[in-house]
Amino acid sequence: MSRDLDTEIHALLPLAPAFLHILIALGNGERHGYSIMQDVADRTGGRVRMSPGTLYGSIKRMLADGLIEELTTGAAGADERRRYYRTTRFGRRVAAAEAERLSSLLTQAHESGLLPRRA
Amino acid sequence: MARLTLAERLYRLLLRCYPGEFRDDYEREMLLAFRDRLAHDRGIGMGAILRLWWQLFADSVVRAPGEHLDVLRQDLRYAFRSLRRAPIFAFTAIATLALGVGANTAIFSVVHAVALRPLPYETADRLVRIWEKNDSLAIDGFAVSLPNYLSWRERLRTMEVAAWRGGSVTLRATGDPIRVASVAIGVDYFRMLGAQPVLGRAFLPSDEAAGAERVALIRDSLWRSYFGGDSRVIGTAVTIAGESHTIVGVIPENSVPMTAEFYTPLRIDPAAEMRDNHTASVIGLLRPGVSFEQARQEIDAIARQLEAEFPASNKGWGIDMSTVYDWIVPEETRRALFVLLGAVGCVLLIACANVANLMLARAASRKREIAVRMAIGAARRRLVRQVLTEGVLLAILGGTAGILLAYWSVPVLRQWLPATLPRGDEAAVSAPVLFFSLGVCLTTGLAFAVFPAMASSGGDVIRSLKDGTRGSSTAATRSRQVLAAAQVALATILLVGAGLLVQSLRHLQRVDLGFEPGGITTAMMGLPPDRYSKPGAGWSFYDRLLKRIAASPGVQSVAMSSGAPFGGGNTGMPINAVGDTHLGSASLQSDWRMVSPDYFRAMRIPLLKGRYFTPSTSGEDDTALIVSAEMARRVWGDTDPIGRQIKAGPNGVFTVVGVVGNVRNLDLALTPAPTMYLSTTKFLFPSMTVIVRAPESAQPAVAMRAALRELDPQLALFNVRQMENLISQSAAQPRLNASLVALFAVVAALLAAIGIYGVLAYLVSQRTQEIGIRMALGAGRPALMRLFLARGLWLALGGLIVGVIGSVAVGRWVGSMLFEMRARDPWTIGAAVVTVAAVALVASYIPARRATRVDPLIALRSE
Repeated sequence: MSRDLDTEIHALLPLAPAFLHILIALGNGERHGYSIMQDVADRTGGRVRMSPGTLYGSIKRMLADGLIEELTTGAAGADERRRYYRTTRFGRRVAAAEAERLSSLLTQAHESGLLPRRA
Repeated sequence: MARLTLAERLYRLLLRCYPGEFRDDYEREMLLAFRDRLAHDRGIGMGAILRLWWQLFADSVVRAPGEHLDVLRQDLRYAFRSLRRAPIFAFTAIATLALGVGANTAIFSVVHAVALRPLPYETADRLVRIWEKNDSLAIDGFAVSLPNYLSWRERLRTMEVAAWRGGSVTLRATGDPIRVASVAIGVDYFRMLGAQPVLGRAFLPSDEAAGAERVALIRDSLWRSYFGGDSRVIGTAVTIAGESHTIVGVIPENSVPMTAEFYTPLRIDPAAEMRDNHTASVIGLLRPGVSFEQARQEIDAIARQLEAEFPASNKGWGIDMSTVYDWIVPEETRRALFVLLGAVGCVLLIACANVANLMLARAASRKREIAVRMAIGAARRRLVRQVLTEGVLLAILGGTAGILLAYWSVPVLRQWLPATLPRGDEAAVSAPVLFFSLGVCLTTGLAFAVFPAMASSGGDVIRSLKDGTRGSSTAATRSRQVLAAAQVALATILLVGAGLLVQSLRHLQRVDLGFEPGGITTAMMGLPPDRYSKPGAGWSFYDRLLKRIAASPGVQSVAMSSGAPFGGGNTGMPINAVGDTHLGSASLQSDWRMVSPDYFRAMRIPLLKGRYFTPSTSGEDDTALIVSAEMARRVWGDTDPIGRQIKAGPNGVFTVVGVVGNVRNLDLALTPAPTMYLSTTKFLFPSMTVIVRAPESAQPAVAMRAALRELDPQLALFNVRQMENLISQSAAQPRLNASLVALFAVVAALLAAIGIYGVLAYLVSQRTQEIGIRMALGAGRPALMRLFLARGLWLALGGLIVGVIGSVAVGRWVGSMLFEMRARDPWTIGAAVVTVAAVALVASYIPARRATRVDPLIALRSE
């Protein structure tokens, strides 16, 4: 990983929770807006329900930051009225870096005895 | 999208909170997502639906403003970048605005301090000032007689009144004796103004009783400077005029509209006061719920009752009343300030027009860039908003620089302010002033960006792209010309105003004073009545003092008067002539002064007839009178007044022994009033003014102090002043107005010149091809030069016409500020027009010359 790219990635961390949720939702393929909302809700057992404002406000910024991109041609089995998004390579790296950050935080929490040690 | 349900419509309404660009990009998507989510949540139940709506509502309150900020941030970043790319444009625009906003902020800080701030008294809106007047004697704003005041106090139901009488006292308590201004004041005064003592107590009603203990209040400044700020001052005894007074309280600074530092209760002995002796000042406090008019009617009625009850003393006497605000900040002062504010506002308008012009020129040169951006899909409203953002950004940058400029210049301006300007020394860039400047910045920012914004959005994309670099819509060109003409008009108005004020000031400064002020130093002093009570003791002391000062090296002449010209302390009284006169049985209101025998020689006031007073104390001049030429003319016309008599006061009869030239005693702008002089060998005031004519090298103040110390070390001199300073203070307000308006006019003319230059330079650059063709066809350079000069003048002509009309209209406003000048002075207007035309010509010359330098070959190839 080049030094410049590294700084660029770390400039975006810590990632807003909504960004990470969206990146995870787009982790296994392209989705349209409502499908992202749906996926996030499913994965969190309905605890995180994004509003359209949060979703599209985040999408706008993530597009500008180059974390995700809009599909220019329709995705497979696409609803033609909708716009589809997918993560970029850069977006994946940022998500990975954020996940790593969180994981190291988690380890630290375990080590400090804040959380029960993993078996 | 298909037909919307009610819920979708409601959601679309909420989406209106987002910026247009955001909606353009995502509204459709968001509606779709909302539809799906709503369908899903309906399946769960009412709770989920409510939660959804709550989320959507929170979005429009929290998210939407964030999106707006985001857009603003982008616009600002873009505006910053584009300004950085055009540093000359940015610098010119910011400097122009800084000048405009800075000057406006500075002037507004003075206007605010003097004329807009409320008075610092708790009851200010109910306070009135009351005078007596006598229309048949042409007296107004006159002092009140104490018996009349007592009658008012007893009979008035609509207001309370308190009287005071000023003077000065020599304090002897801790160190050297000092002379301070003092006031004997109605015991209710401080309570009426809501002034609370910082230490001790205010006066009590019992303090004014004849046998009560003698008490005094002192002002904070005296407490600190003379009593060292020691709280043990309460209870201290001070001796005033041989009587011991106990200090009972300290009054805070600026809590009353008075500069006196020492206050005693005003004790009135009705038996000793005469109803026709007008000596006091009176303030009134309207009772809650009483209007100014009601109070006025009541006191007018009381004055009429008193006139009927005491015809001998009160015939013809009525009431003058004004609010305390109008008394402290007179209308003339306010008008002078608002004229300044108007002038500086014109400068700001011109500055705005200039920046608008610059932006239009820039918009024209960026026409292609804008057309390209529109062609690739930039929304028109976004382009308009970007131009507006650029304008507001310029305004904020220029405004910040301007406020800094004002911050530094206000202290300088304060030094220039006339000493007589009430509260002028409190001018500062305060919060309300900043608020004003901020408003000015944003308004101007939007104002000068509106023209370019309209111009940039109005164009036709295709045509602009095809036109290449030449295309400037005729609308934009026209608005630039209108702006340049408006600048010319405003500059003309300012030049006319400045011309009028400057000439008026010069008239004022050249006015014949009737005496020679150069080299005169004045100082005031008083004799304590306890030690100089014997008849003749006063004059005998002063006579020795004057002689001793006169013997000091370098002193040319020495005299004394009850009041030096421009030194305040004017006194007047009605007189009646004895025998056959122009007056008949009518009275004449005459100023009067007590002067020493050498007064006229020292002041160099010419003796026209008769003789001066003699220094002899044999009683020769006890009833002698010297009158001014104006008084002689009004009373006796052309007949010789020497030896004629007048009646003044209750039973004084005086004989005229001399006639002297008229003197302006009060104000440069006032024609000399009839004046009579009495001899100090017989009459003395408690305070007298010593007048010394000596070159500065002789150090007249030192000589006076030395002489006084030798004769009586317990006496103090105060108010030592140069006559020339007193006179220049009298012209300070006109001088300030004339110099500032002149400064603004010069700035305005320069800015207007830049405006004309800009329009013409642009015109030349646009018509390079045409010029080339003309030259190729044989047009000479002089003809081209004439063409463009004429164009510039033509541009100025419209502005000049509007400017002349405007200055005639504004003239009525300025007219009352002028001295021996008409507001519609054709010469001044003519001179301003010629000046502006010349400036326009010079401004046109540079681009016109550039036109003649065009190389036809290059010009024709330039496409």
